[in-house]
Amino acid sequence: MRSILAVDDSPSMRKMVSFTLTGAGFRVVEAIDGVDALEKANSETVDLVLVDQNMPRLDGIGLTRKLRENPRFKNMPILILTTESSDQMKQAGRAAGATGWLVKPFDPNRLVEVIQKVLR
Amino acid sequence: MQTTLNPSDEPAVPMPVMVAAELQDALLIALRDLQRLEGLLDHATQNLLERFDQAHDLLTPGEGAELSQFGAASFGAASQALRLAVTELQFHDMSSQLIAHISQTLQGCAFRLGAATMGVEDCDDESAGLPPMPERPNPVTQSEMDAGSVELF
Repeated sequence: MRSILAVDDSPSMRKMVSFTLTGAGFRVVEAIDGVDALEKANSETVDLVLVDQNMPRLDGIGLTRKLRENPRFKNMPILILTTESSDQMKQAGRAAGATGWLVKPFDPNRLVEVIQKVLR
Repeated sequence: MQTTLNPSDEPAVPMPVMVAAELQDALLIALRDLQRLEGLLDHATQNLLERFDQAHDLLTPGEGAELSQFGAASFGAASQALRLAVTELQFHDMSSQLIAHISQTLQGCAFRLGAATMGVEDCDDESAGLPPMPERPNPVTQSEMDAGSVELF
C-alpha cells in the first residue's frame, strides 16, 4: 500500500484529503504544518507528499525546499494543493522542486488520478 | 481639533478626531462581526464533518456484512453523493483564509487610524506597536466552489 503524507493546517481539509485517499486504497499520514511534516517524513514511510502552501511555521514551498535538500526525498513526488493560483506562486513552487500545483477545491476523482499518475 | 492621515510631504487631508474615532470604531465592529462569522463557520463545519462521518460509516458495511436496508443502486448513489460532497466541504478552509486576511487588514487599518489620530504616524509600525498589515494579496481568489486547476511540472 502506497503512503501519502497529507500536510494542511486546516483540520477539515486534512479530513477531506484523508477520506478521499484512504477510499482509493492509500495509507494517509497527516501533518498539521511544514515542521510537523518534516518530522513525519523522516520517521514514516512516505511515497508522496501532498502539501498546502499557506501554513504557520513552515509553508508548502519551504517544506518542498527542505525535503529536496535531503537525498532521500530527491525524487519523491511533491504536490502542492493550495488556494493560491497565481503564476508567480506556481513558478516559486516549481523552482523549489514541486512536482505539480493543484488549486483548491480539489475534485476527489481528479486528485486520485493525478496521484496515481505521478506515482507510476 | 483636527488630525492628518498622510505622514508624507504631500498635501494632507485634515480629518476631525471624531470622524477618525467613528471610523476606527466601525472597523473594529466589522472585525468582531468577522470573528463571530468565523465562529459560526467553525461550528457548522464541525457538525457537518460529524454528519459526514456518520453517513460514511453507515455506507461502509463491515467485512462480511450485507448492505442491510440499502439496495445496491441506492448504496452506489449515496456513496457517490458523499464523494462529490468532498469538493464542497472544502469551503471552510477557503473561508477561514479569507476571514483571516480581511481581519488582519481591518485591524491594521483601525490601529493605524488610531495611531495617526494620536499623532504617532511618523514612527514605523513596529516601534509604534501596530499589528502588521497583510504582506501579500488575499490568497483566495475563487468565487465559486468548482474544482480548481491541476498543473504538473
